[in-house]
Amino acid sequence: MVPGRFDGRVETEPADSGTPAPRRRYDPPLPAPPAFLRRGPLREGTFTSPLHEPRTVVVVGRWLGAALLVCFLTGLTSHLLQDPPGWLAPHLPARPVNGYRVTQGLHVISGLAAIPLTGAKLWAVYPRLFEWPPARSVLHALERLGIALLVAAVLLELFTGLLNTLQWYPWPFPFRQTHFWLGWLATGGLLVHLAVKAPLIAAHWWRRAAPALAQRRAFLAATTAAVGAVTLVTAGQSVPWLRSLDLLAPRRPDIGPQGLPVNRTAAQAGTVTVPADWRLRVDGPQPYELTLAELGELPQHSVELPIACVEGWSASARWTGVRLTDLVRRAGAPPGSAVRVTSLEASGPYRVMEMPATYVDDPLSLLALRVNGEVLAADHGFPARVIAPNRPGVLQTKWVARVEVIA
Amino acid sequence: MTTGVRAARAVRALRVLRIVRALLLAAGLAVIGYGLSGLLGDPYITDPSDVLVWAVGGLVIHDGLWVPLLCVLGAFVVRGPVLRGWLFVAAAVTAVGLPAVLRADEDHGNPSVLPLPYLRNWLLVLAATAGVALLVAFAGRWRRRDRAAGRRGPALGRRDRAVRRREPRGDRS
Repeated sequence: MVPGRFDGRVETEPADSGTPAPRRRYDPPLPAPPAFLRRGPLREGTFTSPLHEPRTVVVVGRWLGAALLVCFLTGLTSHLLQDPPGWLAPHLPARPVNGYRVTQGLHVISGLAAIPLTGAKLWAVYPRLFEWPPARSVLHALERLGIALLVAAVLLELFTGLLNTLQWYPWPFPFRQTHFWLGWLATGGLLVHLAVKAPLIAAHWWRRAAPALAQRRAFLAATTAAVGAVTLVTAGQSVPWLRSLDLLAPRRPDIGPQGLPVNRTAAQAGTVTVPADWRLRVDGPQPYELTLAELGELPQHSVELPIACVEGWSASARWTGVRLTDLVRRAGAPPGSAVRVTSLEASGPYRVMEMPATYVDDPLSLLALRVNGEVLAADHGFPARVIAPNRPGVLQTKWVARVEVIA
Repeated sequence: MTTGVRAARAVRALRVLRIVRALLLAAGLAVIGYGLSGLLGDPYITDPSDVLVWAVGGLVIHDGLWVPLLCVLGAFVVRGPVLRGWLFVAAAVTAVGLPAVLRADEDHGNPSVLPLPYLRNWLLVLAATAGVALLVAFAGRWRRRDRAAGRRGPALGRRDRAVRRREPRGDRS
């Protein structure tokens, strides 16, 4: 029994009944394959659950669509903050202070929630994979190819995103670029899917569109429970009041050297021992160098700022050090100057970081020497590290050797 | 409301829907085009066919192995909404937690990555959700017993009774 139709051709477009729809002219029909090929799951009546119907799919699809869009937009936010195009960089805001922390917490929370939601959605529409004939027309064939693209992109996107939070990379392609472009493919596929299914979605949007089913309520309750369970046991890596329930997340915000997690250790960066003659070099109109002791004699400021990672974890700490704007001003650079910061580490994609003037001029942006009252541990960037509001963790450069005014 | 007004409203709604669909379609195709050209042109992705292999592989494993397994289990083995619901929750928790269980010992010398006892925690979550499922199952049984005994109790609302009357019991996959 099938309480609703998936193709939505009959009940959803009353204007088409009576007059032949003009767009059908551009949609040449395809011949049906011979009937003897219709075997196995392609036969009618293979799937008997009453839940393979549009109302269930529309309800789960709404949740999944919302999760995927949040995931895409927060991912795009991270990309723009981390790797902005030249025209955007001077306009990146240093506020809200917790902007990056909240958006990237949401990115991973919505991505993890999308895992059970994708499972529920794809199970509910699974019989559509075996519809007969496989392609009624050219447009229908294209639409099904689009679905394949959408599903493949979403599955691989969720899989790579989940494993990246564990720093596990079993695939041969680079994670960041692939995850970024797959996000566009998945979102484009989703928009096309919404366009194609819009009449069906509209027809089943409201509860009165379909008879109530006890199985549907049970299924939706189970889906909600699955999303809730997954969220509760992982969201504690970014949401402070859920920390005690953080059972399966790859990070705990209070575990690490000095009570803070680390993304790249000093051993990995080759900066366990700092050269004895270390000096901070500041280049600008009036360049100068400072020893660690001299840095400590400059006016010190303490700020409460989170360190937040695209992998979803974040932790707040109290950082103490010299304001970046003071260092830059001392080099004779005017307000509105951007800087380039270079780390002691020999190599690594984030050895050199550029910071727009909006961050440099922010009174919360520090070259920190201490965290939570202690001298920075090697893993947290001893002798000095950058900490600024609303910035991706990888741009909070550790083991700083040089600050250079660039504009 | 006259039928004329209603018809005019329906026509307007259809026109809005058509415009929305056209915009969604155009935006979707543009976004796919952007993503595809980016994926194929990215200097770091030296061999885009690797991505294709993994994408198709994921599709085949999900649609060719995982969902058929679910359908067979649902049709022949697993009965009852509560057990099904718990299995769904357990599968979701496992999908999210199993990678951590498998990789618990591999932190690349960074003890703040995967710092928890993940095998223990995973079993704990499975046990806790099973406990909740048992409570739900018992609550349902008591409710049904109440109803059978008195036909009065606060067992089901009007809406639920309507649902019961209308639908057949068969709930296979």
